[in-house]
Amino acid sequence: MILSTRMKIRKYAVLYGVSVIAVIWTLFPIYWLVKSSLTPNRLMYTPKPKLLSEQWTFSHYQELFHETAFMGFMKNSMYVAVLVTVISVVISVLASYSLTRLRFVGRGFMMKSIIYTYLLPVAVLFIPMYVTISRYGLNDNKNALLFVYPTIVVPYCCYMLISYFKAIPKEMEEAALIDGCSRLQTLTKIIIPIASPGIAVVSTFAFTLSWNEYLYALVLTTSPSQQTVTIGIASFNFGDQTIWGLLTSSSVIASIPAVVLYFLAQRFLKSGLAAGGVK
Amino acid sequence: MGYGLLIPVAVIVFVIIGVPFINSIYLSFTNKVVGVDPKFIGFGNYAHIFSDPEYWKVLKNTVYFTVGSVSFKLVIGLLLAVVVNQAFFGRGFVRAILLVPWALSGMVSAITWRWMYDDTYGIVNALLMRWHVISLPIAWTSDPSIALISVIIVNIWKGLPFYIFSFLGGLQTIDSQMYEAATIDGAGKIRQFFSITIPSISTVISITVLLSTIWTFNSFEIVYLITGGGPLHASAIISTYTYEVAFLQNQMGQSLAVAGSVIPILVLLIVFSMRKLGKDD
Repeated sequence: MILSTRMKIRKYAVLYGVSVIAVIWTLFPIYWLVKSSLTPNRLMYTPKPKLLSEQWTFSHYQELFHETAFMGFMKNSMYVAVLVTVISVVISVLASYSLTRLRFVGRGFMMKSIIYTYLLPVAVLFIPMYVTISRYGLNDNKNALLFVYPTIVVPYCCYMLISYFKAIPKEMEEAALIDGCSRLQTLTKIIIPIASPGIAVVSTFAFTLSWNEYLYALVLTTSPSQQTVTIGIASFNFGDQTIWGLLTSSSVIASIPAVVLYFLAQRFLKSGLAAGGVK
Repeated sequence: MGYGLLIPVAVIVFVIIGVPFINSIYLSFTNKVVGVDPKFIGFGNYAHIFSDPEYWKVLKNTVYFTVGSVSFKLVIGLLLAVVVNQAFFGRGFVRAILLVPWALSGMVSAITWRWMYDDTYGIVNALLMRWHVISLPIAWTSDPSIALISVIIVNIWKGLPFYIFSFLGGLQTIDSQMYEAATIDGAGKIRQFFSITIPSISTVISITVLLSTIWTFNSFEIVYLITGGGPLHASAIISTYTYEVAFLQNQMGQSLAVAGSVIPILVLLIVFSMRKLGKDD
């Protein structure tokens, strides 16, 4: 009995020890980001920064909103991410329904092509995409991203939705078909309602992917009126010695939409690869 | 009808991605520079980059970066997944926190760490000196022997959640009776880990590692925004080098050859992944 109590204590000591270290490792950079965004310059640019600031300020945020193009970047990001999410989720729901429920020649080939595309990295594609987009005169235009982002988002959404749709028993649809429902009605009245938690998660990830994308936005948009927030922030002048108040405050604001969505979606998340795979 | 619903996806896969992709393979055999019509020059670009020692340096960095990041993420991710799979008070909280870096963009992660790494005002040096781990500040982003390690650390920080999340999904499918039986047979925790846990989730492990290897090999903004690939290409990887050749040296054709030269490696990884993903269905 004594031995088992001792073992229990040791087990919990290990569990809590590892957990505490892991939580500190994960949260410290985020804490430091937020803390720096609220620290006055006088306390920020010192070789011995304090872990806890003794003075707080919103001056970096005021400067950010009043003296930079930051809100324009946020609007561009919102415009692109919302539209890309809606377009991609609609396209992917239709395609995934077709791939899981209908039988036709070339289905397997299509399925494979989608997964290949999902695995194809942007680092290989961004120069070709830049060359093509420029040729059609769409460079330095945020609308170009509406064509380009679905190439990342749609294969990923399909990959996830296919596994959600597969899990829905066919019998329910067959009954509805016998009762005179059309194929399209079975999709809107049966599949979509049942798969709605899955569609919610997929939409969250679709939004996050577009919101956080960097490389395409970097090469396809150059003027501030077209840039998304990831590029806009990184284009603040790094040469300026006291830029960090702006960089940290803008990073905090830019992270809010995706982080809030992440916490909202969490109750729908089931662990595992089916739900994983956000790059 | 099956085809009709697929038209948008087919356009994305075969036109929006397919056309530039095929075109770029052609352009990598030309002397394309911005604003000028390309002229076919055969293997000129490839010969040029393969004879450039900088290219090989960058390729070597990319391999170090990928292998270093992936192996640490694998080991730490496995450990943390096993820990948060145990029942203890506060587990839900720990799980939720560990996944947060996932929701942050690569840009925000890079900015945050670059500030923490700052030579003069960075908190990393300040803490290490306060704790007497080091006596002189480390130039995290500008010392050629450290820069690559610095970006690997950030990649691990950003990439761990994916591993924890995937492994946790795998661990939850293991039947707890197997552990009970093993305990009765006298197998210790470590023995159980290697004889039950690892074999049970080996498919999940290999898919996770393959996917993550592809993404890590091609990651961009962490390196680009923290070190810019410098100093003197000490931390440059293929993706940042491609960007540099295309937009700073203005050699489109050559940059396409740089990107194209790693396609065989990627195809290999993708084919392996496809096999594993196929099995998973």
